[in-house]
Amino acid sequence: MLFNSLTFVVFFAVVVTAYWSIRSWNARKNLLVVASYVFYGAWNPPFAALLFSTTAMDFWLGRRIAKAKGQRSRRAWLVGSVCMNLSMLGFFKYGNFLLQNFQWLLARIGIIYQPPHLDILLPVGISFYTFHSLSYTLDIYRDVLKPTKSLRDFILAVSFFPQLVAGPIVRAGDFLPQLVRPPALRAGQFFWGLLLMTLGLFEKIVLADTMLSGSADRIFGYAGPLVALDSWLGVMAFAGQIFFDFAGYSTCAIGAALCLGFHLKDNFRFPYAAIGFSDFWRRWHISLSTFLRDYLYIPLGGNQVRPVRCATNLVIVMFLGGLWHGAAWTFVVWGLLHGSYLVVERVIRGLFENKEWASNLATRLFAGFATYAAVCIAWVFFRASDFTVAARMLRGMFGGHPHGDAILTTREMLQIALVTAGMILVHWSLRDSNIETAVMRLPPWIVTAAWALMACAIILTQGNSNAFIYFQF
Amino acid sequence: MPSSTSNFKRILRLPRLFFSKPPEIERVHGGPPFEYERPIPQVPWRGITVVVVLIVIAAVSAWEFCCRSIGYGPTLNDNEDLWTMARQRVKPESVVIIGDSRAWYDLDLDELEKGFGKRPVQLAMGGSCAYPVLADLANDENFHGTIICSIVPRLFVAPPGTLPMERTEKTVRRSHTETPAQRVSQYLAMPLEERVAFLKQEELTLDDLLKRLPIPNRPHAQVPPRLPPYFGTLDRERRARMIEECARPGSELARMIQQIWIPLFTPPPPPTYIPKEEFEKKMGQAIEQRFHDIAKAVQKLRARGGKIVFVRFPYGGGLKDLEDRETPRAGIWDRVIKDTGAPGIYYEYYPELKGFDCPEWSHLSAGDSVEFSKRLVPHLRKALQL
Repeated sequence: MLFNSLTFVVFFAVVVTAYWSIRSWNARKNLLVVASYVFYGAWNPPFAALLFSTTAMDFWLGRRIAKAKGQRSRRAWLVGSVCMNLSMLGFFKYGNFLLQNFQWLLARIGIIYQPPHLDILLPVGISFYTFHSLSYTLDIYRDVLKPTKSLRDFILAVSFFPQLVAGPIVRAGDFLPQLVRPPALRAGQFFWGLLLMTLGLFEKIVLADTMLSGSADRIFGYAGPLVALDSWLGVMAFAGQIFFDFAGYSTCAIGAALCLGFHLKDNFRFPYAAIGFSDFWRRWHISLSTFLRDYLYIPLGGNQVRPVRCATNLVIVMFLGGLWHGAAWTFVVWGLLHGSYLVVERVIRGLFENKEWASNLATRLFAGFATYAAVCIAWVFFRASDFTVAARMLRGMFGGHPHGDAILTTREMLQIALVTAGMILVHWSLRDSNIETAVMRLPPWIVTAAWALMACAIILTQGNSNAFIYFQF
Repeated sequence: MPSSTSNFKRILRLPRLFFSKPPEIERVHGGPPFEYERPIPQVPWRGITVVVVLIVIAAVSAWEFCCRSIGYGPTLNDNEDLWTMARQRVKPESVVIIGDSRAWYDLDLDELEKGFGKRPVQLAMGGSCAYPVLADLANDENFHGTIICSIVPRLFVAPPGTLPMERTEKTVRRSHTETPAQRVSQYLAMPLEERVAFLKQEELTLDDLLKRLPIPNRPHAQVPPRLPPYFGTLDRERRARMIEECARPGSELARMIQQIWIPLFTPPPPPTYIPKEEFEKKMGQAIEQRFHDIAKAVQKLRARGGKIVFVRFPYGGGLKDLEDRETPRAGIWDRVIKDTGAPGIYYEYYPELKGFDCPEWSHLSAGDSVEFSKRLVPHLRKALQL
């Protein structure tokens, strides 16, 4: 079920009404479990069984880890949980990719092997709910969380419908405590949740799908050479599209959870105002970057090791982060590019951090725009269907096609320029703040006008029910 | 509740660090109620919400009034889910209409039902290539019914990657992958679309309104061709009927649409990045492949006892001059009939089918579609040997 669909509007209205009408906290939680499975099953009912089985397995493994006596035994149960989750992810998401690469490798050594094409349907949100579930056993193993006694509570923690299919990646340790006592219905919290949902839908339907996606699709789908202006505009359109698409989903999820009395953390914090790439990853898909930091980067040694090892750790983490996004080498290159950006940034910081000029406004602005440009270059690999397209785009962006085609209409160029400029302006003006503070500072009539305008724009756009980009991951 | 921005920082506690082990009480499920609580801006929420609801209701009502005053009326959107609903009505022995918008507007389902003894299923799609639907029905092992297939040559042989082809492929794919949520959304949308005039996904969306802004373009910018505005209504059976305003001879709307068909039916220039000869060669190969695929699909269908008849529906005015020049009968039409061995009805061969006037050059009015269908039925029955 998509947030931007009529089905969800009716579903959400029914669930919220029933939820706040029921007095018993247990009954309310039961309702949310049923609603979450209906929400998920509305895509493909059989996959709800897969979701349940991985959840139940992790619930049981979590208890085994907690009960195990020795460290070896605890580790064995944890390995069981990690293997179960990752093999599920590997089969559904990377099965064909691994087979194709295996075939290619055999061909290099002269063995012709034709693997069967596995007609595997990717369960929606598998990358997200696998991580929701995995965080539970990992935290129990690390002794920062005690296992819950309630299977129902754990099922709800993994499958809570606002964050189920495209994040944020909510750790069981952050969600389970919220299931202890029933939240009270507060008008401010409820209406703020509704406003956040409107904002998220506005970002997705109006800004991502209407203002930017058409131009990005046209540029990346064009088979001929493009001039630099069109190439850059196409990439900037995609940079905006993916932000508004994913941040829009996260904002909707946070808003929907708030309407039900739950608190999810921010997943984005104005990332295009980042100064440097470590700052970017503290602002972009925060729930994934902190997951990778806590469960991968730090266990690998983090930055408490020699510089070369630390750089290697960064590249490994970003390599896996890239692969998490999709089973294609273009995603791997995207991840590796970000890994190398982080390494270069560390070197530059080491050399110039103490210089006086390094912290003045001009340098910060320059660094900010350089970060944005480098992030855009990396997006080329994320969006391109293959390396041929990526190479053609990069050649265009760096002036390799001075006599290439200029295909964008003036309207499309204006839309990209205005939306991108507006986005960057908002990100820079709020980079050290948050949206709640901004709303507090605004006169109520502006909040009212902005909310009404967003709602009218959503209705006028008639929400074409395009799937969110991150659903495919 | 926070009363200033400084308080937000206190409430917006940073998540605990992974390696700083929390105290025992916090490790227990059932420890502190909330690790994290989102700040809620303190503004007069009830008042704001009431005003927002009133503004939205007023704005939407005004927009609806405006759309109706300039001639729009409620109708269903022809989307993938509506098509999927129709596709699901196809039974093994159904009579199915496929093809482009001429099969949509020119055929009256009631008249065909009288003639065939069963109600046909309307699967034609505006501006689309019929081949993916033909292939889908040919591959459906359960289906051995009758297909009435409209041919507009430029659309029928549209190569892969072009809009007419992509539209049909996407729709056919949706019919195989439609989720329960999408089906429910369609059921919820239909009563709204039948009552609200501004719900037009291909015309009155923000995107389409922006496209109409009169902004001059750079030379060589690829401007998508303009599509005709609202001129027909669609019901739950996907029956299309031309609205009165368009059916009126010489109406402004009909004349405007006539001028839109000309660029739409004019072959676009070849892309600049491929030599013209190479492009023409590729197009030629793609069209040859299409003839081959069509013949194969028809053969497969007939092998199961299915039947198919190709129909060329009336068209007129400047559009007829253009179509006859660019895609003469001796070209694609004759080739399809010859390769497939299927019967064909070219309206111009039959005096009783010939005299109809298309108000906007491409489709019949609602009234004429009834009479045309009545006259077409005997020819269809004869061609299909019924």
